[in-house]
Amino acid sequence: MFGYAGKILFVDLTNGVIKKEETERYIADFLGGRGIATKIAYDMIPPGANALDPKNALIFMTGPMTGAAPSSSRIDVVSLSPVTNMLGGSSAGGDFGTFLKFSGYDGIVIYGKSEEKVFLKICENDIAFEGASKIWDKDVFESVDYMKEAGREMVEVATIGRGGANLVKMSGISFSKRSLASRGGLGAVMGSKNLKGIVVSGCKGIKVRNKDVLKKTNYEILRKLVESPSYEKYKTWHAKIAASLLKARRPYFGDYEEEYWEDAEEAAGNAREFFENKVKLKSNSCFSCPLRCWAWIEYEGEEAPMVACQGTFSAITFILKIKEPELAWKIYLKMQREGLDIMSTSAVIAYASRLGKVKLGSEEILDFIERIVNREGEGDIFAEGIKKAEEHFGVPAVYVKGGMESWSSDLRPFRGISLAAAVTESGSISRAVHGFPESSYYTKPEKAKKVAKKIAGREDIAEPTIYEEKHKLVAHFENEHIIADSLGICDTPLLSVPEELWLKAFAAITGLNYSSEDLHYYAEKIRTLERLFNVRRGLNAKNDTLSDRLFQSRFRSGPWKGVGIDREKFEELKKKYYELRGWDENGIPKKETLKKYGLEVER
Amino acid sequence: MPYLIVHEDKCVGCHTCEMVCSLSHEGVINLNLSRIHVVGYKGEKFPIMCLQCEDAPCELICPMEAIYKEGDIRYVDGEKCIRCKMCSLVCPIGGVIYDAINHKMLRCDLCGGDPQCAKYCPMDAIEVVEEVPERRKKGVRVLYGEED
Repeated sequence: MFGYAGKILFVDLTNGVIKKEETERYIADFLGGRGIATKIAYDMIPPGANALDPKNALIFMTGPMTGAAPSSSRIDVVSLSPVTNMLGGSSAGGDFGTFLKFSGYDGIVIYGKSEEKVFLKICENDIAFEGASKIWDKDVFESVDYMKEAGREMVEVATIGRGGANLVKMSGISFSKRSLASRGGLGAVMGSKNLKGIVVSGCKGIKVRNKDVLKKTNYEILRKLVESPSYEKYKTWHAKIAASLLKARRPYFGDYEEEYWEDAEEAAGNAREFFENKVKLKSNSCFSCPLRCWAWIEYEGEEAPMVACQGTFSAITFILKIKEPELAWKIYLKMQREGLDIMSTSAVIAYASRLGKVKLGSEEILDFIERIVNREGEGDIFAEGIKKAEEHFGVPAVYVKGGMESWSSDLRPFRGISLAAAVTESGSISRAVHGFPESSYYTKPEKAKKVAKKIAGREDIAEPTIYEEKHKLVAHFENEHIIADSLGICDTPLLSVPEELWLKAFAAITGLNYSSEDLHYYAEKIRTLERLFNVRRGLNAKNDTLSDRLFQSRFRSGPWKGVGIDREKFEELKKKYYELRGWDENGIPKKETLKKYGLEVER
Repeated sequence: MPYLIVHEDKCVGCHTCEMVCSLSHEGVINLNLSRIHVVGYKGEKFPIMCLQCEDAPCELICPMEAIYKEGDIRYVDGEKCIRCKMCSLVCPIGGVIYDAINHKMLRCDLCGGDPQCAKYCPMDAIEVVEEVPERRKKGVRVLYGEED
């Protein structure tokens, strides 16, 4: 077997028993990464289980290409989400996934609940539980330093901060101090199992089928990435992303306000000035990737790695309406240290501001986060997520499927993205529509139109507010993301390099010759299984929706003045999407669909 | 003969050089079998490999005289080498490593004249030059106390 490490580790925390299973059992049916993780989740998590039950399983899974091709750093994490009580998932870059394979494992499945607070140390065949009571109350940065010392020199760490330890529903799993599998409250699942972290190291290599072809193909992929016109932009991405998001008309302000934030441009300009002139910034990359999405940033004696994407600094700037980047930096440090999902936490804080509990754009936010993390007073309610807070306070909030906080881009003008937010199994939009044509319609119109034409046959539908044909774009991008997450490739480079090169690299790594259609077949199969997971829990078309406030809201100013979501047209679009997926009107996969993907026995 | 210069300010720590090095020489992707190593702390990272020293400590200490020069590149004669790992011990920069799996000493051989790490580095952090730069020669003299 090539590409795959060959074994999956099953860790029963209740009994302290560790088993190894052959990865080969799953490969032909579920490819890898997200696919295999979904299958294991389907098999292991009982339909009646709750997310914070010991019965829930937390599955970390790499793909066959993780660590072997350019931009192949991804690890996927799947579990029952405590936010939505549905299938949850999130993925992360960094070095952890590759090191897990170097240790000899494609994935780790954690289930049960440890009596003591522990962390897990994995070095090839040496697997040990270590006491974690000393670091249980420590933040992510301190925990990573502690656990790295406990291991060997070249180790990678996955951990939760105080957020996860206190079962805060907006907490993610941090890989080193930087990359978070942030969405869906997976950090709280880890916390509920009394598992503080996982340390991996290993000296095993990744065996590949044809090293010469792989070398040549990897070189071609690298050149494509490095020679693409947007490559240079990554260098200055930290400084420019806020302005570029505004140009794309994507951010929302405060608690999904209807008025445009007049100071948005000024805030973006300040952020640019901050990253260009005030901080010390050193560009860095995840394993095997040339893109430099993250940087090590130092400012006034504090330092931290920061990924320059819509969900970090710019989410804080716009959602929390912060004009001073110095304050946004402090809030970033706080959330990163506590291991919180920045998009969700910002949304919760913005909602709390509507209730008058905290003032946006002020230092109060820092104390408010502290109260959430410690579950002090009303912080205990907000720590349960935006939907629970809505139920408690009775003031309508904005959330997507299952009650998950929206991602950091506005949903109201974007028809395709709204659809994805409602139908995607985990409610995690970011798991489905990164690189979506609607998102870049105002920044790269030509490219957006070209992509829309290629997928759905019409150029004009790249425009965000058009409803037609959006179901085709959503289904296609969902598939692409499932392929990326299952192979272990980051979705950004996957979409910007010709598919045949990835297929060639995949064949050179694994020895398996798959066509584009084969991969899409896998993607559709995995998508259907994700659906079945939730259908088994009693979910149907009624659950595929957004909070009412999203349908009622209309912009009163700004570039989207007058725009809102039309519920009827949205429902129509949903039906078309079901049809395309081979599901019935109730959103349940039809018999012939199950037959097509060989999933009949699954139900 | 080619010589490698590292521009440490350009490195982003993506490990591509290590991947291609182990893939070229050993046929697997394994950072522990790479002859080049990305080291670093926090955001500062850079690769380091055998610098093909003029008076190489590894060559001087080898009890079997197994390290020999061909052109300007040093190789290990696997027949003579007894795997005492003295070369690995004396190298100040960790330029020689022991491959426990295949029981041999690994060191940069500049890929016989076409260094793959330099070719694959997406950041051009590793540069191939024809002559050892004067700056580095001076650095070596300072290191050995021959110059201030």
